[in-house]
Amino acid sequence: MKNSCLIKGPITPVLISELMASGNDDAGAGAVSIFIGRVRDDETDGKRVTAIEYSAYEEMAVKEVEEVITTVRSAFSDVRSVFIVHSLGVVMAGEASLFIMVTSGHRDHATRACRHTLEMVKERLPVWKKELY
Amino acid sequence: MKAEVRVLYFGAAQEATGKSEETIMAADTASLRNQLISRYPALKQIPFRMALNRTLLKGDSGLQKSDTIAIMPPFQGG
Repeated sequence: MKNSCLIKGPITPVLISELMASGNDDAGAGAVSIFIGRVRDDETDGKRVTAIEYSAYEEMAVKEVEEVITTVRSAFSDVRSVFIVHSLGVVMAGEASLFIMVTSGHRDHATRACRHTLEMVKERLPVWKKELY
Repeated sequence: MKAEVRVLYFGAAQEATGKSEETIMAADTASLRNQLISRYPALKQIPFRMALNRTLLKGDSGLQKSDTIAIMPPFQGG
């Protein structure tokens, strides 16, 4: 199962609940682990970040996401699905820009694979950000 | 032999060059890198990596006509 995409704008609570529900048809997935990354209102040189504008090398990002999912699924045998969604464009401070969900039969692989997916996304996804103040 | 390749700029490399893409003649990625740095001195400050046809390069590579090279500063996703 492949579930991945780049979306324009923030990952809204409605989208998050839809994504969470999309794993519901697999009753064998007893464990669901989710990571949500949000834009932080960091302060630099007296200026506070109000939003981040994300850009990506989209053709490569889609390929990398597929490879991350394949790698995670082969490294964690109990994993049943991996979802990766990343925002593009402007996301306001406090809004979500990254959603990762891993389902598996049991909790161990769900939690470890979710963390592993997150680290691979950070390392491999050709995405850049510009802070807006 | 030199080939005409498509060069894409991302993130800070876009600001350093003032462009999102262009075509450049180069024989390989090492000479392309040198050419870019001399053309856009601001690129020297950016520890960019290159992708050849959507695959991150680990070393240098020859270039062929219609190859696409991406100039990629450190990733900042998440």
